[in-house]
Amino acid sequence: MMSALAVPSADASAAPSAQAAKVVIEAVNVTKRFSESVIAVEGASFSVEKGSFVSLVGPSGCGKSTLLRLIAGLIPMTSGTLTVNGREVDAPRKDVGMMFQRPTLLEWRTAVENVLLPTEMTRKPTTDDKKRAIELLRMTGLKDFEFAFPRQLSGGMQQRVALARLLQTGAEILLLDEPFGALDEFTRERLNLELLRIVDEIRATTLFVTHNISEAIFLADRVMVMTPRPGRLAQIVDVPFRRPREISLLQSPEFNELVTEVRAILGAGA
Amino acid sequence: MSTTFETTLPEQAVQEKGETRATRIGKHIALFLVVIGAWECVSAFGWVDQLILPRPSAIAVSLVNLAFIQGNVWWHFGVTLYEALAGFVIGSAIGIALAIAAGLNESFRRYISPYIVAIQVTPRIALAPIVIAWLGFGIGPKIGIAALICFFPPFINTLTGLLNVDEDALEMFHSLGAKKSQIFWRLMLPNAMPIIMAGLKTAISLALIGAIVGEFISASEGMGVLMQRYTFSLNMASSFAVLVMLTVMGYILFVLTEAADNWLVFWRHDARMVALSKKKARNWRVD
Ligand SMILES: Nc1ncnc2c1ncn2[C@@H]1O[C@H](COP(=O)(O)OP(=O)(O)O)[C@@H](O)[C@H]1O
Ligand SMILES: [Mg+2]
Repeated sequence: MMSALAVPSADASAAPSAQAAKVVIEAVNVTKRFSESVIAVEGASFSVEKGSFVSLVGPSGCGKSTLLRLIAGLIPMTSGTLTVNGREVDAPRKDVGMMFQRPTLLEWRTAVENVLLPTEMTRKPTTDDKKRAIELLRMTGLKDFEFAFPRQLSGGMQQRVALARLLQTGAEILLLDEPFGALDEFTRERLNLELLRIVDEIRATTLFVTHNISEAIFLADRVMVMTPRPGRLAQIVDVPFRRPREISLLQSPEFNELVTEVRAILGAGA
Repeated sequence: MSTTFETTLPEQAVQEKGETRATRIGKHIALFLVVIGAWECVSAFGWVDQLILPRPSAIAVSLVNLAFIQGNVWWHFGVTLYEALAGFVIGSAIGIALAIAAGLNESFRRYISPYIVAIQVTPRIALAPIVIAWLGFGIGPKIGIAALICFFPPFINTLTGLLNVDEDALEMFHSLGAKKSQIFWRLMLPNAMPIIMAGLKTAISLALIGAIVGEFISASEGMGVLMQRYTFSLNMASSFAVLVMLTVMGYILFVLTEAADNWLVFWRHDARMVALSKKKARNWRVD
């Protein structure tokens, strides 16, 4: 179980369902070096199935954000192959959306105007676009705050707007980089549960970055464990618990066993 | 930074302020009267020469005389105001346009940066006689001097604001596949607005200084001309009356830029932001 994962096929046997699920993200030996000495990601190979929720967990600085940026097409990789929906990644694309730790809202725009930003990149928002934006704000729990400016919203609410904006892109692959990492424990827990409900509802494929082990396990079908210097995928762990997940899962012995297992992998890599 | 959405908060704040404001204004008036009264006494008892410091009552009489009885002061007032405003508009437009070019084009920015430093360290007011020599004696050179003196703060503030973009926001735009023009109009420019407005506030008072310096050097009309005329004839009360009118002019210009700031950079002014949020909610239509 401790060996570094080298080939993408190694996790195929671990898939819970026997039917061959469609792979939407496929990475083979993806490497990113920023300089001779800084190798942020080295030889990462993995695949993400359509509709699945995959967590990427590891200590800070191990290359999680870099890996996500590579998949989003924001930065070029040094070597390897990376395909999304069967197409090589070379630039940001419509089918992939990204959300960051900071809400990055435009403070001169109301919540709904912020949500409409992705649409404006391609066209003048139509009636349907606007209806959809309002609907998404309600879905993310911001009914009655559609016309509030960011400074009128709490940190958690701002991140809800950012989530609605991400959903407005219509992307079916969601890359979330510690999306609730800057929020307090309670808010984060609640938003995590709502995120699960929402991605289920829209059948998105989700790659969720966190440095919190139990959060990673609680949310995901599969946890990719990453270790630093150089950033490597140490192991990919399947999470067997049924959906929808309940908060009580956090107390179960099976859950805690898995937390211990992941912690051991991280400890061995450090 | 993050405040909870609370519609009743701003009104409450205003009410609280209103209570203390009455007493505060009272104290200001009292202090003002004490200072003026002391000044009046000092002059009346002959402790200070009237030619150095005229009595407030004499200044008031001159002011009424200039403004309402003679009346021609308004022409000069208008000339100076026009020079300052025109200089401000031209100087700011040039400053902002240059800054946008420099902000968007890195090599242009590199080429002009030594000249920016040179302009920054040169006392630009020293160029005033040269401008007069170039443009002659009408209103034009005063506008030119005002523009010259005031263009720098809008320039440097706009450039700073455009370059000071949040990296994460920029990355978010890139992840949405934004074009360069979309990033400029939707992120860089609005993001720079608060600091651009701060530059404009400085520029407007500099423009007024420029206009008056231009009038000092050579002019036949304007408040600077009146000021020189009265001091040369040792009519100190009228000189001070002109100064008071210039203070009023400066204040009007300042209030106008404050209002523009309040209107344009609404997201930094809580009361206006809340009002706009409500207005947008009322006017929301999906068509
Ligand atoms: N743009 C960059 N230039 C140089 N080094 C970078 C850059 N971005 C990240 N790194 C380095 O790559 C490593 C991984 O960073 P990152 O992916 O942000 O880690 P994580 O998200 O897991 O905290 C770190 O050592 C970081 O300093
Ligand atoms: Mg990170």
